[in-house]
Formats: sequence, structure tokens, C-alpha cells
Amino acid sequence: MKQFIRKADIILFIVLVIIGLAASAALTLSHGEAGSSAKVIIESGGDLYARYPLAEDRTVVVPAPKQVASDAPAADPDDAPSAQYDYYNVVVISGGTVSVSEASCKNQVCVKHGAISRPGESIVCLPNRLVVRIENGSEEGGGYDSVTS
Amino acid sequence: MTQSPRKTSKSKSLSASFVARVGLMAALALIFSYVEAIIPYNPGVPGIKLGIANVVTVVALYKFGSKDAVAVSIIRVVLAGLLFNGLFGMLYALAGAVVSLTGMIFLKKTGLFSVTGVSMAAGVLHNLGQLLVAAALIEDLRIFFYFPVLMFSGIAAGILVGIASTLALRALR
Repeated sequence: MKQFIRKADIILFIVLVIIGLAASAALTLSHGEAGSSAKVIIESGGDLYARYPLAEDRTVVVPAPKQVASDAPAADPDDAPSAQYDYYNVVVISGGTVSVSEASCKNQVCVKHGAISRPGESIVCLPNRLVVRIENGSEEGGGYDSVTS
Repeated sequence: MTQSPRKTSKSKSLSASFVARVGLMAALALIFSYVEAIIPYNPGVPGIKLGIANVVTVVALYKFGSKDAVAVSIIRVVLAGLLFNGLFGMLYALAGAVVSLTGMIFLKKTGLFSVTGVSMAAGVLHNLGQLLVAAALIEDLRIFFYFPVLMFSGIAAGILVGIASTLALRALR
């Protein structure tokens, strides 16, 4: 009857393997680039404070948790950050990068850290217990729930 | 125009032997689906599966033709979806089945490939169809990061299924 393998099978096999290898090579090269749905995750005091798309430019004033209880935000959001909060960080999302432009803390490590743009990178401000990180991803930032076959 | 009446009626209605044959094969395929669903193994990446049930599809294609293969495959996918995999699992599997069946029928028609080769292509196409549905459902093209993994696993699973099918076809001859 039929043989297990014919010449055309081997050619097909080689073609498929090459496609697979090329795809994985292409993906490896592009690995680490933030996708269009990459999110900026801002955590304050260990809790999620906000999540924004990396693609949208914005400036966010993040109050540090140590005064959130005592200190209500000022009515006018156009006020300078220092007028609204005693302890704060200003997170700037611009052109696919994230940086902390201003901080109430003394060491200014987060400001000096510079901009981040790749998934997995993060900026941390210890005095204000702030973590800013970039995640690739779906809604909850934790990848896909499941993929079935 | 020149078709005989007998031929016309054969293609329009389902013959008893077709129904019985397909029912039998669908039941067999369903058992394979079930056995595969209860085997606890985790390859680390979701979506990697052997797909033993496809042996039945391949055998049906080569022994009885594309109509049988399509019927067996669709019935199996719908039933397995209702029983084990859930509605979304069914949707994925249906997409994979349609794409891989189309590919298999086409490749078989060319007459160039062995059962193993056709099955290998079907394995890859199956995964590709699922990936397309997943990308459409999740609306996120970065799911194609899975593409190489599913490509290679499709090749491997397809070859194994093809070898099993060849052996089965030899035994059934």
C-alpha cells in the first residue's frame, strides 16, 4: 500500500520547519518590544493605583499612600502637584516611554532612573512606595487566561 | 445533466451505510477525545496536544473519502465540545478542524503526499486555524508569539497521527 514517507513529504516537512524557524527568529528579534496594548501599571503602597495604555501620552500625579488618608486632593487638578499633595510622584507617559519627572522624595532615584519603554522594566520610588512598570498585555496584565486546542 | 437517477439520490440523501459508518467512527473518535482529555499531562505551553482522535479522521478520509472525514470530524468536535471542552474550546477546535480538513482534502487530491505528510500538514493547519480564531477572539495579534511553538508541535503531532493512521489503514485493508 502506501509508504510511510514520500519525497514530497520531506519537502513539505522542510518547508514547514523553515517557516517555524523563521517565525521564531523573527519573534526573538522583536522580543521585548512593547506591543500596541502594553500597559503602564502604577502601584502605590503595594496596591494597584492605575493602569494606562503605554501608547497614550499623559501625565499623572500619584499621591504617596502616607498622606492619602489625611489629605484630600485639592479641588483644582491644574494646580501644581506640590500644591495638592505633600508626598507625590509625577509619572509621565510620552511617546511610548514612561518616566518620573518629579518626586517629593529626597533621593530622586526614580527621577534619575530615566525613561523605560520595554515590558518588564520598572521604576521604583521607595520613599513614596511607588512602582511603575510596563507590562505587555491583556486586560489584567497577566497574560492570557487560557488557550485551548 | 447526464447523471443517473441513482447517483443523484445517493448524493442528495444520506444512505443508511453512510450514517452507520459515520456514527461508528464518530463514536470512536469521541472516545479518543475523551481518553486524551483525561490523560493528565502538561506540556507547559497551552495548545499542545497530540490529537489522537484525528487518526479516525485521517482513516475516514483515506478509506471512505472526504465526505465521511468531514462528517466524522465535525460531529466529534461538536460532541467533544459539549462534553469536555466547553463552548469556546469547541469554537477553537471547529476552526482547526475546518482548516485542517480543507488542507487534507486538497493535499490528498494532489496525490503527491503520503498519509504521514497529509497528516503533518493537517496538524500544522489545525493549530493555525485555532490561532486565527484565538487572535480574533482576544483581538490581540501578539498571540502569534505562540506560532512557532504550535507550528513545531503541529508537525510532531501530525507525523505521529499520520504514522498511527498508516498502520491503521494497513490493518484495515
